[in-house]
Amino acid sequence: MIADLPRLGLGLGLRSIHFDTILAERPAVDWFEAISENFMDSGGRPRAVIREVAERYPVVLHGVSLSIGSCDPLDFDYLARLKRLADEIRPTWISDHLCWTGVMGLNSHDLLPMPLTEESLAHVGGRVRQVQDFLERPLILENPSSYVRFASSTMEEPEFLRRLAGETGCGLLLDVNNVYVSCFNAGTDPAAYIRAFPCESVVQMHLAGHQNEGTHIIDTHDRPVRPEVWELFRLAWALTGGASTLLEWDGDIPAFADCHAELLKAKDYMGGRFDPRPEGAADPAGSDGLSNPVGFLVPRVMDSAVMEEA
Amino acid sequence: MLPSIQQWMHESLVFPRRVDGDKRDALLRESPRLAAAQGLAIYQRGYFLRIANCMREQFPALCHALGEPLFDDFVADYISDRPPESHTLYDLGRRFPAWLGDNRPDRDLPPGRREPWIDFMVDLARFERQVFVLFDAPGHEGRPFADPATPDESLRLQPCFDLGAYDFPVAAYYHSVRRNQPLPLPPAERSFAALVRTDYVTRTIALTETQYRFLQAMAEGGGAGDAIAAVARHLGMTAGQVRESWHSSGDRQRWIDWGFFITG
Repeated sequence: MIADLPRLGLGLGLRSIHFDTILAERPAVDWFEAISENFMDSGGRPRAVIREVAERYPVVLHGVSLSIGSCDPLDFDYLARLKRLADEIRPTWISDHLCWTGVMGLNSHDLLPMPLTEESLAHVGGRVRQVQDFLERPLILENPSSYVRFASSTMEEPEFLRRLAGETGCGLLLDVNNVYVSCFNAGTDPAAYIRAFPCESVVQMHLAGHQNEGTHIIDTHDRPVRPEVWELFRLAWALTGGASTLLEWDGDIPAFADCHAELLKAKDYMGGRFDPRPEGAADPAGSDGLSNPVGFLVPRVMDSAVMEEA
Repeated sequence: MLPSIQQWMHESLVFPRRVDGDKRDALLRESPRLAAAQGLAIYQRGYFLRIANCMREQFPALCHALGEPLFDDFVADYISDRPPESHTLYDLGRRFPAWLGDNRPDRDLPPGRREPWIDFMVDLARFERQVFVLFDAPGHEGRPFADPATPDESLRLQPCFDLGAYDFPVAAYYHSVRRNQPLPLPPAERSFAALVRTDYVTRTIALTETQYRFLQAMAEGGGAGDAIAAVARHLGMTAGQVRESWHSSGDRQRWIDWGFFITG
């Protein structure tokens, strides 16, 4: 039951460029979030590292290919691999996104948006129940960043997730930056979104940076959290009663100490009065913003390749 | 409704030029900030950029050899022809070497008139795919390896091992790029290599054809005895002569030191 899940504190995404630092220095981070797909098929160093990290820290698994909203059948081979990984490292919870990644047997490797309809709710609800039965634990679902809305949608995202959580018992991962990005792009109020969100079902929150293009925002996860998102986090922290919070930094990833320092800024927002900030200035033109970057999931194999003299 | 929306949207990503604007505007709701076309364009652009970034990481030497713009062009055609299917990004490049060979610009020319640089690119892509796969393949780290005292008959290849035969010196080129001292595109020259991972480091060892035949016999499930016999047949020598040469040349010792063998 999600009510039994612990409050883990402040956590960081487990990134391969930080492996050596984490293992050698054992930094004072409360917990780590590992991308499931990076480890479930691993026979090399990544699997060895996550085993070692999981012995020392609470770890959660966060997936990007469950595709819970897809009309393709659930991939039970994928679920079996995920369950084997979970049986080995015993994550505190397993999460993914309210989205679909592909149909027709294809995978876009993006988190594609759902029309928010009764049809989608019934479809996703049925699949959530199947996944939870298979994994033998509640599934935690995240609100994705979005750049389109469907004309057929009959409800807003907080209502959809409230009903989904109520009907299935799943937990929710409230991505505060995604709320900001999606609401900015849709021209809606992010504070109103948070206030309408079923915060009683929130198990975890995400924070991340984004790229402001002026006319819209791209969820790039490649820079510090913006002040307007921090302020929104202050509201979300209060309404969720201090849910476990994680900083995602997936592009241009700095040294571990810099990621950690950014995460610890969250303490400045765990209290006080919510004071919404207007969106800051647009980022310089010409930067190549990519939503939901996944490049960090592909190892730099060349770095660990050597040629021996025969 | 949901299946048709998802099919439409996924096809919009794979084939962006085929999008029907009227259908798009009917399915998607505009916002004060983003028109339907702009919002969809973010997903379409992201689809290609995301995959291209990953492919550059999986084929860094090929990207260097082609230059990023031409590499990206090949990737764009590849993913249009072979859209990704797997839950894992690691699978993105699995079909790329074969696809390059099947879709080379000069494929309609007879083999003798084809461009050698394209042969090199296909060969290099094949080598890079092997290196990439070995990085995270099931291995033998943390478990005992063979040592010099292990009898020949007990030697078996470790699980994280691969062999390659190439028409170009692709391993040397790959590692020259890795050292930031890239070589010029090389002329055709038959080359052989062993790839082995120990302590999570993937090693490339250049081989002679004889060494390659030896290890190939073991890779096919044989022991050292089978490998010695195969090489003896190829060279017209006795098994005893080959065994003696294998020991005295230092190959046996070096291969043990590099972690080629476990005991079986």
